[in-house]
Amino acid sequence: MLTIFHSLEISHYIYLSTVLFSIGLFGVLFRRNAIILLMCIELMLNAVNLLLAAFTEYMGDVQANGQMFVFFIMVVAAAEAAVGLAIIVMVYRNTRKTDVSFLDQLKD
Amino acid sequence: MIAIAIVFFGALALLFIGLNKEEKSLKLAAASILGLAGISIFAESKGIINVDAFFTWVPAGMITFNPTAQVIAAILTVMAMIIINLMPAVSRKGMDVIALMMFSLCGGLLMIGAQHLVVLFLGIEILSIPLFVLAGSEKDDIYGNEASLKYFLMGAFSTAIFLLGATFLYGGSGTMYYHEILLRLSFAEHFGEFPILMQTGLVLVSVGLLFKVSAVPFHFWSPDVYEGSPNRIAAFMAIIVKIAGFAAFAQLLTAFVPMQTWYSNWMLPISAITVLAGNIMALAQQSYKRMLAYSSISHAGYLLLFLLQPIQENFQVLGVYLLSYGLGTAVLFYLFDKYATSQDKTVGIFTGIAYTNRFDAMALIVATLTVAGIPSTIGFIAKYQLFTAAFPTAMWGVLLALVGSAISISYYFKPFRVLFKTESDVQPSIHFTWKYVCLLGVTLSMVILGLFPVLLNWIF
Repeated sequence: MLTIFHSLEISHYIYLSTVLFSIGLFGVLFRRNAIILLMCIELMLNAVNLLLAAFTEYMGDVQANGQMFVFFIMVVAAAEAAVGLAIIVMVYRNTRKTDVSFLDQLKD
Repeated sequence: MIAIAIVFFGALALLFIGLNKEEKSLKLAAASILGLAGISIFAESKGIINVDAFFTWVPAGMITFNPTAQVIAAILTVMAMIIINLMPAVSRKGMDVIALMMFSLCGGLLMIGAQHLVVLFLGIEILSIPLFVLAGSEKDDIYGNEASLKYFLMGAFSTAIFLLGATFLYGGSGTMYYHEILLRLSFAEHFGEFPILMQTGLVLVSVGLLFKVSAVPFHFWSPDVYEGSPNRIAAFMAIIVKIAGFAAFAQLLTAFVPMQTWYSNWMLPISAITVLAGNIMALAQQSYKRMLAYSSISHAGYLLLFLLQPIQENFQVLGVYLLSYGLGTAVLFYLFDKYATSQDKTVGIFTGIAYTNRFDAMALIVATLTVAGIPSTIGFIAKYQLFTAAFPTAMWGVLLALVGSAISISYYFKPFRVLFKTESDVQPSIHFTWKYVCLLGVTLSMVILGLFPVLLNWIF
């Protein structure tokens, strides 16, 4: 099993993360449910985390800058999810739906 | 930078002291904390006090303020003070709104001082997350809800893009310190080619930041968010986020000086489109607040033009422009908030105030001249310096920006048509309050700095 991991190159990680990131990106662009949008954004952040960990390992960074960054991203993502869910609950109380199609009230 | 600590602990203290108090009674305390923070940064930039000894625990070089960045940080803090002072307080109990604004300001200060990608990321998030909440602080207002959700989705989305870019930069250079990135790029320039990871990384990081400062392909959220949020928060977003965003962007680009000709290739069209589209769309707006939002987009375009040139030493040009933009916009948002009603948000709200309230009319005229960049105000000095500095690298951009400024006059001056129109004999009534002292100070500073630009050399 370990030999498989050793035979992986950095480009594989880049491709995998880019694919995950793109799934999240297209999810944000095309889905209409606010909670699914939040999940897609989390997916984008996690793709970035994977890539950061891979880069740190690949470059043999002794200070592990990238892996430290991963922890910061996790903390911020948690804070963002907390605030985001609170906002979605607030919207739900007023409109009784979590659909982003309600985002067209403000027009000139 | 003891100011970050002053603002943060001040906000915490206010939050607990103000649990059961009216916001009005503690507004002055908040403003004085911010004023103290601003003075301390300014004193540090002039070398009067030195507090480096307190910050030995911060890893070396992650947060460094050069003197000009310190002046911009002081401007940022003073702008927050002006906004909190001028804009009316909400009537419910609790200091949460002002405390969140101050927390958000801490993030802005971090962004200006960031010399490391992690610090820049944390600064952006600390600036944004309180603002997501603040945009929806009127919980029952459906427009506020929409603004809040929209700002949250756009903010989180742009953060993810920024992070992918930061990761690519890390992968391409093996470091997150700006000065080390600069070193690697200088090597790469020597061999004549930049790594593809660095190029993609710079594009993605810039897109993340351009979302924050609302440059044109990424601006669509900003008029809606400004219109839906409470006026005070809209002013805060328009001024604080933009000042912090551009200062941080300029700091970041100092690491990419070797790539300057490459990135100005695609950033020049963005800034030209931002200037033109911002100004032209502002022309079509009925609501004065939406017009201010588009005007802030066009100002982002002028500032982007400046970022195209290799920024090393004339950072103060950026500072002067941000100062003039902040002062003018703060006054315009204050006057909009004072006269707008829930039915009427057009320029018609200013009808006849030259007779009813001469002082407000004077402030409106001065602030409008400042944001439009008419001589005798600081706006002219700022725009003149900015365009002169940007001209060698972005000649076509500057010419388009001049056209844009000419267009901007036609919508900025709209209130002047109704200002002197009188409907009935109304007696002028001015009650001098603390707010008027603040407004007078801001208005006078715009004129005095415009007439004696020599004073700017002393500030910077």
